[in-house]
Amino acid sequence: MHIVCCIKQVPDTAEVKIDPDTNTLVRTGVESISNPYDIVAVEAALRIRERYGGRVTALSMGPPQAESSLREALAMGVDDGILLSDRAFAGSDTLATSYTLGCAVRRLSLDDPVTLVLCGKQAIDGDTAQTGPGIATRLGFTQFTYVTEVDWVDLENGRIQVKRKLEDGLEVIRGPLPALLTVELELAKPRRASLPALVRSLRAPVANWDAKAISASPKELGLKGSPTWVRRISSPPAKTGGPLFYAGEDLRESVAQTLDILFSDKTFAAKFMNRWEA
Amino acid sequence: MAKNTKGIEVAEILPDRCIACRICIGECPTAAIELTPDGVAHIDPELCIGCGKCHESCPVDAVKFERKMKRRLAREERGALPEPVGGYDGVAVFIEVAGGAGVQVSWELIGKARELARALNSRVLGFVLGSGVDAVAREAVEYGCDDVYVLDDPRLLQYLPAVYGRALADLCEKVRPEILLMGATHLGRDLAAVVATLLKTGLTADCTGLSIEEETRLLLMTRPTFGGNIMATIFCEHRRPQMSTVRPMVMRPPEKDPRRQGTIHHPPWEPPPMDLPVLVDFIQGVSPGSGIDITRSPALVVAGRGACDPSSFHLIEELAQAVGGTVACSRPVVESGFMPYERQVGQTGRTVAPKLYIGIGVSGAIQHLVAIQGAEKILAVNSDPKAPIFKVADVGIVGNYLEVVPELIAQLKKRTG
Repeated sequence: MHIVCCIKQVPDTAEVKIDPDTNTLVRTGVESISNPYDIVAVEAALRIRERYGGRVTALSMGPPQAESSLREALAMGVDDGILLSDRAFAGSDTLATSYTLGCAVRRLSLDDPVTLVLCGKQAIDGDTAQTGPGIATRLGFTQFTYVTEVDWVDLENGRIQVKRKLEDGLEVIRGPLPALLTVELELAKPRRASLPALVRSLRAPVANWDAKAISASPKELGLKGSPTWVRRISSPPAKTGGPLFYAGEDLRESVAQTLDILFSDKTFAAKFMNRWEA
Repeated sequence: MAKNTKGIEVAEILPDRCIACRICIGECPTAAIELTPDGVAHIDPELCIGCGKCHESCPVDAVKFERKMKRRLAREERGALPEPVGGYDGVAVFIEVAGGAGVQVSWELIGKARELARALNSRVLGFVLGSGVDAVAREAVEYGCDDVYVLDDPRLLQYLPAVYGRALADLCEKVRPEILLMGATHLGRDLAAVVATLLKTGLTADCTGLSIEEETRLLLMTRPTFGGNIMATIFCEHRRPQMSTVRPMVMRPPEKDPRRQGTIHHPPWEPPPMDLPVLVDFIQGVSPGSGIDITRSPALVVAGRGACDPSSFHLIEELAQAVGGTVACSRPVVESGFMPYERQVGQTGRTVAPKLYIGIGVSGAIQHLVAIQGAEKILAVNSDPKAPIFKVADVGIVGNYLEVVPELIAQLKKRTG
């Protein structure tokens, strides 16, 4: 069985901010990390390999420094790391990204047919959750999103059964292989790499594939293959906030004034009095 | 303006503006631009030919370049890109069906679609897929659809991405809407990505703002990105439909009007033969705290890190009862194990839009604030007057919640009798 994990290197989003005075991005000290959901996908792939055998290939599309995410996966125990890096990929939106990753999975299948593709549910910088389904659609793989558990893989009959987390419960569903899964954080707790594995991973070769290596059509790559464009960026709408009362001065009065302000909006007050009916 | 050794006036990146989107890297005809390890673009002045394409394509004006003639040239070249988008008309809403009924977010989107259709002088279309969904189609008309296209088939009873994706893509090819809106539910996000890939069109997820740009008739889609720290406005110029998903409770639901007239169409549909997954089982609300949907509650009392104490939980609960609401919490409270994930408000939890939000000991991290943007009134209680939550609160009390909350409960009870 050949399992492919897709990893995205992302900025640590908690750190990216807009300077309110200059309206520019503040990115000093912003580190790049591997998307946490994707690392869970790597862990899931390793566990499936432990149960059923096979090999795991980690795939990352990005600038040359994305190699460090692949080394992280190698240290955890994946067999191969492949970096998809080419100027032609720059400026990709999710449509172009899923095309590129789809081409890479096809290329991998030439040597060893891919049975399973595992992706994180979403990346923490964009939160779109579109790339996984996009890859599945392009490859014609069975798509299972929001997976919290892989029940079993039946290689003989080409079937897989998983649990998917939906709004109101868990869905248990089985379907044909090859399949693409996008995983939730609770699926597995990623292992820590052992020291020897860490050292080995630093020396492991990481292949670099460009557009030609995956036989991609230039029209569908990068900016050319991306229908969506960014028109502008801005800070979330700033609010100044309403009045503040200090309970330490006079508790009863502070609370009374607070409620006066809250209920000064008569329609709101009426809805509250009827406890939100009508 | 800097010149290189060949005497060409070159473009320069303003590092503090660059968002590392890499668009300029793709545009540069001489491969003069690279992303540095610091995560900003850098232009090699010796390779730069001063064409200005990077300047033209930069979404955030991070490229310093002032030669006007070249700029015009670059714009003409870009405008020459073919791909006509004529022949598309109508603002379509995918109406999600759950348990035989239309999902609330779909109705909210019809309200937005009406607004967009007015700006475009166009119609609102509803797309309904399922089995036994006639009532849903009629309801869609009452909420504001001019035309509803229904694929009613037992094979559409269960949602499967491959079947639904193909069906909705086929419908789009037949009806050719200019815009397609979908709710950012579990199903909606899953399906939207499939449809956009099949139609090879642009899709913008989790939009919080949608509007029409008058001069271009383009849909401008605004969404939070980088974990909600930044708002990006996105457009899709050359492909149709322009697709967007919107989270529940972001748009205002329209009034239902039983007298509204609309046409319901039943186009023929035949599913392609496929080896499909089968649903084995459904385990209702398996996680702890099941059955609680904080997004449906009209009022929320949200405990934050500053009120993360089981011994005072009765106060939070009592306040929730007094305002006819539900107890929720911020992320640290879930991480401490005190409350289940289902109760979490925030970027990684639920987006909420209650009529009343009361934050107790919630500091107001940006990831939390983006998820409460839709709240009608916000009351915050925190011991720190500098807590960011006060910046978005309609009114706030600085103090110890152990003293403030009992007083709030007492006075609320007095006021409502």
